Amino acid sequence: MISQKLHFIVIDDSKLDCFIAEKVIRNTGMSESTHSFIDAREALAYIADNTNTEVQTILIVDIHMPMMNGFEFVEAFEKLPADMQKCYIIYILSSSINENDLNRVKNYPAVRHFLSKPLTSNTLTALLERL
Amino acid sequence: MSKIEKIKVLYLDDEINNLHAFKASFRLDYNVLIANSAAEATEQVDKNPDVRVIVCDQRMPDMTGVEFFEQIRGKHSMPIRMLLTGYTDIESVISAINKGNIFRYIKKPWTDADIKSAIDEGNKFYMANSMLAIKNEELQKAYAELDKFAYSVTHDMRGPLLSILGAVDVARNIDEISEIREMLDLMEKSVKKLDNFIQNVHDYYNMKRGELQVVDIDFEELSEDQEDMNKIICKLNNIKFTTTVKQEGAFRGDIITLKVILNNLLSNAFKYQRKNNPDKFVDMVIEATRGVATITVTDNGIGIPDNHHGKIFNMFFRATTDEIGSGFGLYNVKDALLKLNGTITVDSVVDKGSKFVVTIPSK
Repeated sequence: MISQKLHFIVIDDSKLDCFIAEKVIRNTGMSESTHSFIDAREALAYIADNTNTEVQTILIVDIHMPMMNGFEFVEAFEKLPADMQKCYIIYILSSSINENDLNRVKNYPAVRHFLSKPLTSNTLTALLERL
Repeated sequence: MSKIEKIKVLYLDDEINNLHAFKASFRLDYNVLIANSAAEATEQVDKNPDVRVIVCDQRMPDMTGVEFFEQIRGKHSMPIRMLLTGYTDIESVISAINKGNIFRYIKKPWTDADIKSAIDEGNKFYMANSMLAIKNEELQKAYAELDKFAYSVTHDMRGPLLSILGAVDVARNIDEISEIREMLDLMEKSVKKLDNFIQNVHDYYNMKRGELQVVDIDFEELSEDQEDMNKIICKLNNIKFTTTVKQEGAFRGDIITLKVILNNLLSNAFKYQRKNNPDKFVDMVIEATRGVATITVTDNGIGIPDNHHGKIFNMFFRATTDEIGSGFGLYNVKDALLKLNGTITVDSVVDKGSKFVVTIPSK
């Protein structure tokens, strides 16, 4: 368990899901800040622009999104400089129960964990406590 | 058998006289091709892959008929193979039939009636086989679509449901009424999204499975329907909706399929508007003259980026995160046009608007 508070970035094309994630994150009491993006490309640009590599940030990423989906996002993320990547932890959050999706998630080194929707405070807290 | 399209029958024999006799006897019934050697016969089939029946003599100097069939089968499996032979070769014939290399054998010396009945039987078998191949291909396509469908259902149907479930869970711990209200709005959107998806699925299956019901179309009436249906949306979102209908003479078509096209094009035009644009408009022009209907739907909304123009008609493709969409609408439009032998073109510029032009021939 890390003592410092965490930053969160939520990427989901559903505004409701972003909203829920924000509330759930707030309820864990472990968040310093939360940013939501409904377009993964904007999130990527935000991350690439962020030069502060000291702060630990949790990325919660949906799979099915128009324009740039979760897989495409992770692939683009893995091309970022290593010292930039190291301050992010990626959780994939999806309603998908498709095996191909689940197996594909496991193949990305940058992805820490797969979470099923809906996100609840209990699951998130349990995960964060293991960090 | 239609005189225009006689079926192709290839006869292979090393004796020229037999070839001529065969051709003379059957040239009226079939399109007879002849070959004097296995090599020549192979060449003929390569040139005419639609040969339906190959008749071949068993005893030839370079190879036996059975050997020839075994060879040609590898490359051209469709033509029906028939062997001409005398009783002395019966052992090799039986083994060839059992191996599946030959559909039937014809005893020498043959009569015209023997050959004719054998070829006609063979042709029937060929037809059944080709039909099966076509059906198989259709089935493959249907399976592929079903896979895609099942995959999307988990996302497009479960997605909104799980969002609502999550919201319910979160709402339990919220006391602030304004926050609850905000969530209710978002939940409503989720419900609408799911409903929209289900309606699209309904349209999709109606079109896929339903037979066309061709009736006289009154475009004026169709247009008025759309005006009524969209009245509230126009008012709520301050969009000017104009329609022009010019119909000369009768136009026949399937009304449900036409409605699917109009509904989807218009609902997209209304949906993908620029929020801050003070002069939002949607314009529909229908011209039905000389048996062709041209429907033009123009808006000054958000537009579609160039690189997406080719993909917008794909199932489940979405070009934007704005607004509720299932990625089903334009796919259904394309499917509907396929049924009506129609075409669609799109002309769209980001932040300027989109113009869809549909042409449909009268049935």
